[in-house]
Amino acid sequence: MDTSAAHTVEGIARVVAVQGEIAWLEPEQTTSCGGCSASASCGTSSSSSKPGIGSIANRIAARRFPMDNRGQGLAVGERVVVGVNDRALIKASLIAYAIPLLAAFGAAIFAQASYGDDATTLIAMVTGLFGGLILARIGATWLAGRGELAPRFLRRARPDESCNG
Amino acid sequence: MKEYALMMIGAALVNNVILARFLGLCSFMGVTTRIDTAAGMGLATTFVITVSSMADWAVQRYLLDAYDLNFLRITTFILVIASAVQFTEMTIRKVSPSLFQMLGIYLPLITTNCAVLGVALLLVEERMGFLEATLFAFASSVGYSLVMVMFAGLRERLALAGVPRLFAGPPIGFITAGLLAMAFMGFSGISTH
Repeated sequence: MDTSAAHTVEGIARVVAVQGEIAWLEPEQTTSCGGCSASASCGTSSSSSKPGIGSIANRIAARRFPMDNRGQGLAVGERVVVGVNDRALIKASLIAYAIPLLAAFGAAIFAQASYGDDATTLIAMVTGLFGGLILARIGATWLAGRGELAPRFLRRARPDESCNG
Repeated sequence: MKEYALMMIGAALVNNVILARFLGLCSFMGVTTRIDTAAGMGLATTFVITVSSMADWAVQRYLLDAYDLNFLRITTFILVIASAVQFTEMTIRKVSPSLFQMLGIYLPLITTNCAVLGVALLLVEERMGFLEATLFAFASSVGYSLVMVMFAGLRERLALAGVPRLFAGPPIGFITAGLLAMAFMGFSGISTH
């Protein structure tokens, strides 16, 4: 995988735990957050910091991810720049969103052509949507199996580096 | 079928959500620094707008119209949109945790995107049938995604261009957005009736 800056979507994450050769990282939210190092001066910072259901802290905690720590020597509290391939982001978006929508519209158009009734079309579209989500799951598993969705370590973040650049 | 195609072209290009109706301008300026992130946000918004429009249409037809509760429309739609975003977030998390880590950052932003509510209100005011309403919402969000990606491409080029310091950053972005809106006015010459 090419991880040069031109082909990588970068983000800042903080090391929250190290278990053997695996480091657990928590992404710094880049928008509407209050979670990054610039939150004190950021106009979009939020007061929601307690990890309640649906809170920002809860969302960030849910997006915690592991990373191979062999050779990196990452320690808890360190801020690092991680990246994913930009094409992987587009592929992931297409799998997650386009496949369910196409399946839903396919089912809805078929139902409308066959029955011409709004209620039946609505039920067919919802059924198609869930069918598409199952297909998306299969596609995502295939993509994850190829290792394309895993963020890669790029470098340690500068102390002043934040969501504002 | 021809009517549907014309209606979709009208919704995506002639009455573009961003450049003709001026909805969703926050994400338009905020998430268009790179093409890939703009495309990710555009696809996520397309999904949410389509799903929430399906739900909004059903709520309008079977609840608000049926029980004469139209004065609750905006409140109800906001609730439906927030639920659609939560549903999408939960679904993506279930479908693939890896995808959720990658795409989950965009989802909370969509809740506050006025384009989602704007499209839902437009389609119920037009008294469309279910399929027509959903296709209208889908086409509107495709138009939104198209403009997001186009504008991100322009901003990527602007980042490399020699812009005077006074105009660097958001100012040149706003000027470019204005020029893009004027260019899209050319589509109003297309008759979709």
